Amino acid sequence: MAQRGVRRRVDVQSLLLTGSLVFLAVLWLLPAVWVLVTSLKPTPSIIRLPPEWIPWPATGAHYYDVLFSTSRTARIGRAFLNSAVVALGAVVLVVGTSALAAYPLARMRFPGRNLVFALLVGSLMIPNAVVLVPQYVLTQRLGWLSTYQGLIVPEAAMTFAFGVFLLRQFFLTMPAELEDAARIDGANAWQIFSRIVVPLSQPVLGALAIFAFRSAWNDFLWPLIAVNRPEMFPLPVALALLRGAYQSESYGPIMAGAALSALPLLVVFIVANRRIVEGVRLSGLKG
Amino acid sequence: MRAQAPLGRRAWVTAYLFLAPGLLLFLVFRVYPLLDGLRLSFTNARLGRAAAAWVGLANYQRLLDDTRFHVSLWNTAFYTVASTLPILALPLALAVALNRGALRTVLRSAFFFPFTLSVVTVGLTWLWLLDPVVGPFNYYLRAAGLPARPWLAEPALAMWAIILTTVWWVTGYYLVIYLAGLQDIPRDLYEAAAIDGAGAWRSFWAVTLPLLRPVLLFVFVTHIIGAFQIFGQVYILTDGGPGDATRTAVQHLYETAFKNFFHFGSASAMAWVLFAVIAVFSVLQFRLLRGHAEY
Repeated sequence: MAQRGVRRRVDVQSLLLTGSLVFLAVLWLLPAVWVLVTSLKPTPSIIRLPPEWIPWPATGAHYYDVLFSTSRTARIGRAFLNSAVVALGAVVLVVGTSALAAYPLARMRFPGRNLVFALLVGSLMIPNAVVLVPQYVLTQRLGWLSTYQGLIVPEAAMTFAFGVFLLRQFFLTMPAELEDAARIDGANAWQIFSRIVVPLSQPVLGALAIFAFRSAWNDFLWPLIAVNRPEMFPLPVALALLRGAYQSESYGPIMAGAALSALPLLVVFIVANRRIVEGVRLSGLKG
Repeated sequence: MRAQAPLGRRAWVTAYLFLAPGLLLFLVFRVYPLLDGLRLSFTNARLGRAAAAWVGLANYQRLLDDTRFHVSLWNTAFYTVASTLPILALPLALAVALNRGALRTVLRSAFFFPFTLSVVTVGLTWLWLLDPVVGPFNYYLRAAGLPARPWLAEPALAMWAIILTTVWWVTGYYLVIYLAGLQDIPRDLYEAAAIDGAGAWRSFWAVTLPLLRPVLLFVFVTHIIGAFQIFGQVYILTDGGPGDATRTAVQHLYETAFKNFFHFGSASAMAWVLFAVIAVFSVLQFRLLRGHAEY
């Protein structure tokens, strides 16, 4: 009997705990819900108080406005395309170069290996803000301002060292027997890498791809200075400028733009939740 | 187990062929800019000025008199210190609570979601929430009988609004890292603690915290390096205002190089001062928290 009493108390406790956590989680999501709700309201009801949490009658006008309007500032549709090109380009470049570089660092012995790896890991501590100005000078000298490559390449360089670090950790754990067997069959290093190592590393490559996509899609400071032609703005910059273009009482288009910019990662997040979390976990634990 | 390719010249060449594309990217777009920034900090380089002259320590000397730079460093330090406790403690508390309870995956996702948003989206969201007239935040404060304030327009409050925004943004990220750390703590340590009569509170201090030390170190260092470079939230929410109340170091650097003066030399000097500050803090943190051997 005593035991049952204890269990009941524990149950009540954990129920209370779960209840308050659920409450907090809902509270946590409310700002995002508010963005979505606002974006669907007709302009007059946006600023009505008390705040209306159900956008009814709903309208898609703000979305139409920011996606297809020809006005000077509201070029969210074009910005969406720019961001997609830049983020996908950065993903390909980061995953490709990191995987190639991580493989010999994990599986081969050669002079300079420890030095190269130490340099890469050390560079993780360099604040991005420190290279901002010289990176601008370099990009300008290359004639890459307001171009896709001017966004993709520096973005990829920013994530490269982390990618090597992440993939090397994974490559180190692969069993040596597979490689040995392939080598006996006469496979060269490239064949081992492309036919054995890469296929076996899909999960961690996926995690890195998502990480690289997220940082390129969301980066703000670099495109803010590296792009000065409005048709080349990626989403964060275009959104930041939308803010100045509209009166404060007209939050509708701004919130529609914000919701649109969140969409791709929301989809990735729902489809590949585990992989994202795994990526964060890997990035954190061996920091 | 590690496979090691046979030594020899060919293996050597092969390894560097694999490394070449990444190293090229790294050397040209990371290492070179880092060093070039140091060089620029000793010149009077400006946007559009073809030949910059060597000016020695003049840029650094000018920083000694640049009161705006001092204010921005002070603001950055204030932000960093004031945001550290909430950003270390809140995700940790959530992680400990989530680690035991039901619905872990769903709740973790809810807290993590804001971290998938860009700083601009986050900033615009809170700009709208905190709108002094029509924002819901003030409305509900008033409804609860609390004083409504123009959060972003009052010098004493604006930085706290930025901290609140940041906490909302990054809590989920650190929560995931803490949760992973908690999963790695062996269960039987808690059982042993329970047998010794330790309650939940006691075993948190005696088991969880000490074993979480490496994770705490990672979170601490990551947060500090990020906090010293805070920019996006400030740019969107206050643009450094009201007055100079939220002007941070990177905001000031950005304005010096790309908005007001286009003075690359002195902006580079600022960057290196900031770099030095961050480096000192990182070393201190390692010293402070590395103390004990990892388990």
